[in-house]
Amino acid sequence: MKKIFIIGWKDLMLVLRDRAALLLMLAAPLVLTLALGFVSGRFSGQANPSGLADIPVVVVNHDGGQLGTALAEVFASDDLAELLAATTTASDAEARRQVDDDLAAAAVIIPAGFSSSVIPAFDTGATTAPVAVELYANPARPVGAGVVETIVAGFLSEVETAQVTGRVTFDQLLASGRLAPEQASGAVAEIARGLMEGQSSGALITLQTPSADPAAEAGDDFDVMAFFAPGMAMLFLMYTVTHGGRSLLAERQAGTLPRLLSTPTSPAQVLAGKVYGIYLTGAAQVGVLVLASSLLFSLRWGDPLGVAVLILVVAAAATGWGLLLAAFARTPAQAGSLGSALMLLFGILGGSFVPAGNFPGWLQALSRLTPNAWGLEGFTTLARGGSLAGLALPLAALLSMAAILFAAAVLVFRRKS
Amino acid sequence: MRQILAIAWKDALLRFSGRSELLFFIVLPIVFTMLIGGATSGSGDSRLPVLVVDEDQGELAAELTQALQRSTAIRPVLRDRAAAEADFAGDDFPALVVIPAGFSTVLRAGTPVALELRTLPDSVNALAARQAIQAAADAVARASLAAAGSVAQAERLRPFATEAERTAYFEDALARARAAFDAAPARLSVTQPVNAAALAADDAGAQASAGQLITWVLIPLLATSALFAYERNGGTLRRLLTTPAGKGTYLLGVIAGQLGLALVQMLLLVGFGAVVLRLNWGSSPAGLALLLVTFGLAATALGTTLGTFIKTEGQASGLSIMLGMTLALLGGCWYPSEFFPEVAQTAARLLPTTWAMQGLTDLVIRGQDIAAVLPEAAVLLGFAAVFFTTGVARFRYE
Repeated sequence: MKKIFIIGWKDLMLVLRDRAALLLMLAAPLVLTLALGFVSGRFSGQANPSGLADIPVVVVNHDGGQLGTALAEVFASDDLAELLAATTTASDAEARRQVDDDLAAAAVIIPAGFSSSVIPAFDTGATTAPVAVELYANPARPVGAGVVETIVAGFLSEVETAQVTGRVTFDQLLASGRLAPEQASGAVAEIARGLMEGQSSGALITLQTPSADPAAEAGDDFDVMAFFAPGMAMLFLMYTVTHGGRSLLAERQAGTLPRLLSTPTSPAQVLAGKVYGIYLTGAAQVGVLVLASSLLFSLRWGDPLGVAVLILVVAAAATGWGLLLAAFARTPAQAGSLGSALMLLFGILGGSFVPAGNFPGWLQALSRLTPNAWGLEGFTTLARGGSLAGLALPLAALLSMAAILFAAAVLVFRRKS
Repeated sequence: MRQILAIAWKDALLRFSGRSELLFFIVLPIVFTMLIGGATSGSGDSRLPVLVVDEDQGELAAELTQALQRSTAIRPVLRDRAAAEADFAGDDFPALVVIPAGFSTVLRAGTPVALELRTLPDSVNALAARQAIQAAADAVARASLAAAGSVAQAERLRPFATEAERTAYFEDALARARAAFDAAPARLSVTQPVNAAALAADDAGAQASAGQLITWVLIPLLATSALFAYERNGGTLRRLLTTPAGKGTYLLGVIAGQLGLALVQMLLLVGFGAVVLRLNWGSSPAGLALLLVTFGLAATALGTTLGTFIKTEGQASGLSIMLGMTLALLGGCWYPSEFFPEVAQTAARLLPTTWAMQGLTDLVIRGQDIAAVLPEAAVLLGFAAVFFTTGVARFRYE
């Protein structure tokens, strides 16, 4: 047993002296996590962690009436100040140019006669021919343009509702005889005021989040980094274990494996020692990454016991993949490049780059073969305030993955030797 | 010239001495493009799935479900409460909305009603889902809202004699309001730049494949640095000294070889995107060629400069993956840079990947022509000149 530990420890020390390996094991995940944090606004004090803020939008108001002014004011309102960065211009051409030059996500062009096409004239009660507000969208900023569209559509829906309410109210008052036709023009202002007061009560259907929902409460301070950091840690954990598998083959090629075997150490002990070394290195790597990101980015990983157990288990499952790869590969170089390929493939499948939840069903099922997916699920659960007890499923999946992969690797190794 | 070609050919053979290089050359780029493109757009229904529990089973609840079904952002998945809660716990749905019993009755009476909404805490998708649900709810509620307004005004002028009279008045108002909404003219028209509209593109897919192309061409080009380490450590670089080939010839040969391979790789990836994924690559092949060649030059030159800093092949492969991914990420190749905060967008202008991505976006999404990408191409050439000069100045045979 002691020999196994010694061999494992030796391999860990070897890795620590390999600057190139350390670069990918520790520097790369931290640098990428940092970059992800940077682009997501984690460090610029942005309130909305989705990254959608200060969407540039340019407003052109050709309508002299009150609705055009009201819509333009929506874009300048304090409520939307964080989400939008709105500017105004007098010319359509200038607004379109800003969208074409990618300076704006969308241009909102309010046509002349917009108000009079909605609000009936006092004297005749008629509206002018309908005109449409134009939203000139930037195809390179589909999300930002979509948000602007939602805002404009929301405003127009309110306008339509007010208009319909006014018309229905009048038509019914006249039809029911509550209002005589000759009184109509005199009552307009008062009824309009009454309707406006009634409308200020807001939406008829509201969305209520149950206050007892613990997820919603934790949501206020959920840190986007708690998603990126484990994602990158899992990605480069796969590098470490496949790199470790490579060292198994390298030792054979360099002739140090036969030399180890000439000592009173059995092949099983040597293999176990090497495996232990890979496992130790992987677990140490994730441990260091967790510590470093806590210190550098003040990232909270959640329940320490849960985090520790998850690190030990996810490293075991990943080591299983590293071993299987080493068992199949013929040369260290082959193991090296197959390893990098596996690391990237598992990264994309397991959700290190884009959330696996966005994939179609069969791909989501496939992603369950990666330690990345289960590890990420576990770390996210912990960061959301979960504890060890909430990790039953990922832990069980990772442990079974480790057991199956170890058994398969041993079978392949046996057949080859 | 023959010397340069010989060196280029030697490097190509060296690089493809193992078949696994093909993985990085073509297989992984394609897998990534399909997955990232598929995750952000893809065929079929890519709207966010939202769990809907209908405990009302009334007419207006059905109308709400239909309104949700029409949403461009979300797609309702109807479940009973127990099943919905189990699914929601599985984290695959960003939101769960419950239409309470009595919803139709209460809403019909013009009284406010609340939907129970639960969303995943950390998810942008949840934010989008909330907005889409509110929009659908408003669409369903607005007829009732208008009817309630009408009833209130009528009541102000003369109270209703009986509750039945009030109900009849409300029903009449509701019918009138619905008819009015159905007949309402379009008050919003969404337009796009003419060229972009002509492409009729799958924008998210085009953006993803452009970004992946840059990423996967960049990483091996940065790994050009490994060639130097390989030759230097093997002593073959010193042997080159004994031949009449000068330093410039050698470097040009290496660069020509790697750039040539990169162009072949780009051609394969563009071809695959166009033929298999049916992605558009814009309407200007000349613009595309110009941009890809200048980007290839800048990236190869960067790899050459890197080669003068690193010592071993291991370092080179590690550094090229790390640097390649980071540059691609910051350049907006993975996630659209519209999500980046202002400061990040500005800082990213210092990177060649940002310019390459911007040029590709102009071509494949905006449908612009070669004139539009001349500035980007010029900046990329500038990067190439700076990196190449640094590389040559620092280059040592041992």
